Amino acid sequence: MLRMWRVGLLSGLALAAAPAHAFIAYVSNEKSNTVSVIDTDSWTVTKTIKVGQRPRGIDFTRDGKFVMVAVGDDDTIQVIDAKTQAIVDSLPSGPDPELFAQDAAGKILYVANENDNTVTVIDLEKRARLGDIQVGVEPEGMTISPDGKTLINTSETTNMAHFIDTSSRQIVANVLVDARPRFAEFKHDSSELWVSSEIGGTVSIIDPKKHEVTGKVTFEIPGLRKEAIQPVGIGMTRDDKTAFVALGPANRVAVVDVASRKVTKYLLVGQRVWHMAFTPDEKYLLTTNGVSNDVSVIDVAAQKVIKTIQVGELPWGITIAP
Amino acid sequence: MRSGIVIVGAVALAVAGTAARAADPRYPDWPCTQAKVPVISLAAVWAGPALDDAETKWKDDAKISALVSKLSARKTPLDEAEKSVKEFLAGSATDKTANAKLLFAGLFDTLNAQRSQVMSGLERVSRKQREAADKIREETLALQTLQSATPRDEAKVEALSNELIWKTRIFEDRHKVVRFVCEVPTTIDQRLFALGRVIQQGME
Repeated sequence: MLRMWRVGLLSGLALAAAPAHAFIAYVSNEKSNTVSVIDTDSWTVTKTIKVGQRPRGIDFTRDGKFVMVAVGDDDTIQVIDAKTQAIVDSLPSGPDPELFAQDAAGKILYVANENDNTVTVIDLEKRARLGDIQVGVEPEGMTISPDGKTLINTSETTNMAHFIDTSSRQIVANVLVDARPRFAEFKHDSSELWVSSEIGGTVSIIDPKKHEVTGKVTFEIPGLRKEAIQPVGIGMTRDDKTAFVALGPANRVAVVDVASRKVTKYLLVGQRVWHMAFTPDEKYLLTTNGVSNDVSVIDVAAQKVIKTIQVGELPWGITIAP
Repeated sequence: MRSGIVIVGAVALAVAGTAARAADPRYPDWPCTQAKVPVISLAAVWAGPALDDAETKWKDDAKISALVSKLSARKTPLDEAEKSVKEFLAGSATDKTANAKLLFAGLFDTLNAQRSQVMSGLERVSRKQREAADKIREETLALQTLQSATPRDEAKVEALSNELIWKTRIFEDRHKVVRFVCEVPTTIDQRLFALGRVIQQGME
């Protein structure tokens, strides 16, 4: 009896000693046609999965059971089982899918197809195509409003953020931003939409009700030419107080105070920093660095880079298990 | 044989055509698909303290100079180079910041110079290739004239077509080498950034 109690106590201790932040991150490597799996406890790559050609957009399903990865040159989205880490299915996208966005419930997936000016709508439960939205321009960045009613699609041909009503599947508004809009992100309270412009070198802040640009975040790094500062990925903390903006070949992530829209700090990460993802506890932010072929780990509270992890060639997207 | 010669000429012209195209009008001799970035700016790779006189003084320090040459050499594997940086900084307790600045200043100078050399070499080859392409084009036309002449001078046709085959082969080989060498500036960027990052982390 005593021994059993002791065994119970020991196993309890073992559980308590396990670190609280063991999450799993998946990184798409555009050039090596692989997905790297990172354990956020040991900060090491635990597995490299061979996928289709030119993997870019990548995201966990909301239940955390599967990882979807857009493999553009194979014209499909592959589905990886997170338990077995093997490809188990594919989703019917259009030609050359680059990235996608899913609604809050994780039931509907919107896929930006680079080649045919459409957004494909997919039912995630049935894994079937529901239809297409003709956006008329090459879709680039995509996001969905927190209420699921509006799909944002940015286009580098029009330099606009197009607002699409998800029920009518029609464009309801167009907002002009700076050159080559790349990525769009809503504040969690839906009051603002942030859109990064890679060539313009800015982030436009849009009032999503009035469809107007209400301000811009600008970047300046002494010693760097303006054209080397190319904003792409954006990550915002859940309290909407701090935003992180990846600046491409400036090799830095800007820390932005959301209220004042001013940069408070620049963090040197890796070469051509592209996209990013928070761990669910928001302790860490992971960025993909396309030219140095690695992932940087930022301690969010300390606003400091604490680790670098080598992955495959040309890491593009990243997603972390919920 | 005759159709073979025609094909050689056609291939030569096609290859010559691709070589002549420059992606960026500012650098007409730049032969790579990778964008030409003439120099790496310090701010792109360094967020540490100002280098100040370390930019000139690193050369006066024999130990630093030797380490810089070892770390900049492409034959030194990157992970080995990173390890050497860590060991060097760990071993310099009191003057760590000064040593780190000297080492980085040396690497920045040396690798930037290495990069410029590779890039001007590429542009030199690119100019040579353009001249070779012009020559191949001229000789292809000359060969066509010889072939349609009556009476036909078989010896001359033979000699010129052999020369053309030879020149086209050299042209194509160089073209392949250029594509390979185009990766080198990026490899140097990667090395400078990676070593700079290790140095900055070592200073903290």
